[in-house]
Amino acid sequence: MSPNDGDAPAVELDGLKLAFHAGTPDQRIALDNLSLALNRGDFAVVIGSNGAGKSTLLNVISGALRPDAGSIAVDGVDVTRAPVHRRAAMIGRVFQDPMLGTAPALSIEENLALASMRGRRRGLGLALDHAARSRFAALLEPFGLGLEKRMAAPASLLSGGQRQVLALVMASLVRPRVLLLDEHTAALDPGTAALVMQATQRIVAEGGLTTLMITHNMAQAVEYGNRLLAMDAGRIKLDIAGAEKTSLSIDDLVRRFAGDADHVLLRSRANMAAGPADATGAKG
Amino acid sequence: MDALVLYWNLVPVTLVQGLAYALVALAVMIPFRILSVPDLSSEGVFPLGACVAAALIAAGVSPIAATLAAIVAGFFAGVTTALIHLKFRVHSLLAGILTITMLWSVNLRVLGKPNQPIFGQPNLFDWISPAILMNLNLQILVFAVLLAVLVGALWWGLQTHAGLALRGVGANPSLAPALGVNVVLYTSAGLGLASCFSALAGALLAQQQGYGDVGMGVGMLVNGLASVIIGESITGRRTLLRQVLAPVVGSIAYYQLASLALSIGLEPSDLKIATGGFVLLTIGWPVLLGRKTPASRAF
Ligand SMILES: Nc1ncnc2c1ncn2[C@@H]1O[C@H](COP(=O)(O)OP(=O)(O)OP(=O)(O)O)[C@@H](O)[C@H]1O
Ligand SMILES: [Mg+2]
Repeated sequence: MSPNDGDAPAVELDGLKLAFHAGTPDQRIALDNLSLALNRGDFAVVIGSNGAGKSTLLNVISGALRPDAGSIAVDGVDVTRAPVHRRAAMIGRVFQDPMLGTAPALSIEENLALASMRGRRRGLGLALDHAARSRFAALLEPFGLGLEKRMAAPASLLSGGQRQVLALVMASLVRPRVLLLDEHTAALDPGTAALVMQATQRIVAEGGLTTLMITHNMAQAVEYGNRLLAMDAGRIKLDIAGAEKTSLSIDDLVRRFAGDADHVLLRSRANMAAGPADATGAKG
Repeated sequence: MDALVLYWNLVPVTLVQGLAYALVALAVMIPFRILSVPDLSSEGVFPLGACVAAALIAAGVSPIAATLAAIVAGFFAGVTTALIHLKFRVHSLLAGILTITMLWSVNLRVLGKPNQPIFGQPNLFDWISPAILMNLNLQILVFAVLLAVLVGALWWGLQTHAGLALRGVGANPSLAPALGVNVVLYTSAGLGLASCFSALAGALLAQQQGYGDVGMGVGMLVNGLASVIIGESITGRRTLLRQVLAPVVGSIAYYQLASLALSIGLEPSDLKIATGGFVLLTIGWPVLLGRKTPASRAF
C-alpha cells in the first residue's frame, strides 16, 4: 500500500452507502450514495445536524466501519477493504473523547514513541533514546502547554485539552495523507477549545495536511478551512470552496443550508450571540 | 516458638517454591496488567508444560529439547486463548476456562496416563550440575539467576517498539489500531508469551520433582493472583520495572506467608480458602472503604 505521488486526489470517495440495521424497521441510512474528492492540502470542515452521517463518514474512511457499497481511495490507493491497522499508515485521527486519543497508562513520551511508528514495522529497538526524547520534547514545546517538561508523566494526568493537543501531535507525527478530526474540541471548555483549534491550525498548516474536520461550531466552520461541506441524511448537501468559503459569514451559511438542519444552525447562532468563543451548538 | 523453628527450617524449601512459582505469577501479571485481558489459562498451561516435558523426557528426548517443546506448547495454548477471545468474541475469562478444559484432555493424551514418573531420567538440573537437586541453596541460585534473566529480558522487551505496542494495546485498545498496531497479532503474542512462562514453570517443576501429573495445575492461578497482588502492594506499579518485579517479589512473599500459616497450624487443605479469602480481602477492602486503589483496578 505505498501511496502514489501522482495526481490522484488525497481522498476519493465514490458512491459510499452504509445502512445500520438494514432490512429492519430500525433501518438508518447513514451514508446515501456519497461521493467526494478532497484535493491535497484541502482543509474541509464538515457540518450537519445530529445523525447526518458525519461520524459515519469518518469511520468509513478510517476503516472502523465497512461501507455496504462504494469505494475509498487515499492518495490513489484503494483502501476499501483494508483493516484499520493497515490503512493507519495513511490516516491520522483525533476523536471527540479526549480519553480515546492517547494511551492513559503510558507516559507522554511513550505515547509519542508509539505514534512515531504508525504504519512502520515495529522491531526490537528501544522505543525511547535520548535523541527521540529531545525530538518529542521539541515537537510539544511550540504549543506552550509545558508538556515538554513532563515527558515522563502518564497521559492520564493531563487535562482534556492537553490530551487533545497530545493526540493531535500523535496523529500527525508520521505525516498522514489525511487527518480526520471528529468534533475534537466539543468536549472542551471554550477557552481550551480555542487553544486546541490554534494547535490544529498550526499542525495542519505546517504539514500542509489534507484534513477533514467535523464540528457543530459555526464560528469554527466559517473561520477554519478552505472548504465547507454540509451533510444531511447521509449526503453532502453543500460544498463551498475557494473565495466563496473565504468570504462566507455565519449568516450566509444559515441562509444557504436550509431545511432539516436549520435548528442546529440556528441554535449555533444563538450560542454565537451569547459568546463568540463558544458555539458548540447542538452538542454543547 | 516451635512453630517459628519449623517455619525457619522450611525457608530454603519455600524460597525455591516461591522463586519457581514466580514464573506463574509473571504469567498471570502479563495479561492482567500489560494487556488488560484477564486470563486464567495458567491453571491448564502449567500442567501442559509439565506433561510435555515429562512425556518427552520419558521417551528419551533430551531435557533441553523437552523443556523448549513445553515452552512452545505453552505459547500455542496462549495463542489459542487469545484467538477464542478475539475471533469468537468470547470474554477472555471464559476463553481461558475453555482452554483449561480442553487442555485437560490434551495433557492426558500427551502423558498417556495421569502421572508419568521421570525419576532417574536425565533432567535440566542434572545437566547444569548433578549437585543441584541435592542442594536447596543451589536450586535457589539457579531459579534466582533464571528469574533475573527472564525479568530483565521482559523489562527490556517491553521498552522496545514492539513491547511498547503491546502495552499500547493494553492501555487503549481502540487507539492501537489507529496507530497501525494489529491488535489480534499483539494480543496473541502477549498471551502466548505469558503462557510460555507458565509452561516453563511446569516443565521445570516436573523435572525438579521427578514426575509430570495432569493435576499439577490446581490452584495455580489463585496463588499466582495472590502473588501479583501482594507483590504490587510491596513494589507499587509506578514504573515498568516495579510492575515486572512485583510478581517475583509477591511470589516469594506469598510462599513465605503460606509456610508461616502452615507452621502455625493451618491445615494444608485449608490453604486454598485462606488464599482465596486473602485475595478477596485485598481486592475488597479499598472498595469497602469507598475508594478504589490502582492495585484493585484491573482485577
Ligand atoms: N453503531 C450504530 N448503530 C446503529 N445506528 C447507528 C450507529 N452509528 C450511527 N448510527 C445511525 O447512523 C446515522 C448517522 O450517525 P452519525 O453518528 O454518523 O451522525 P453524526 O452526523 O456524526 O451525528 P452527531 O452530530 O450527533 O455526531 C444516525 O441515524 C445514527 O442513529
Ligand atoms: Mg458524530
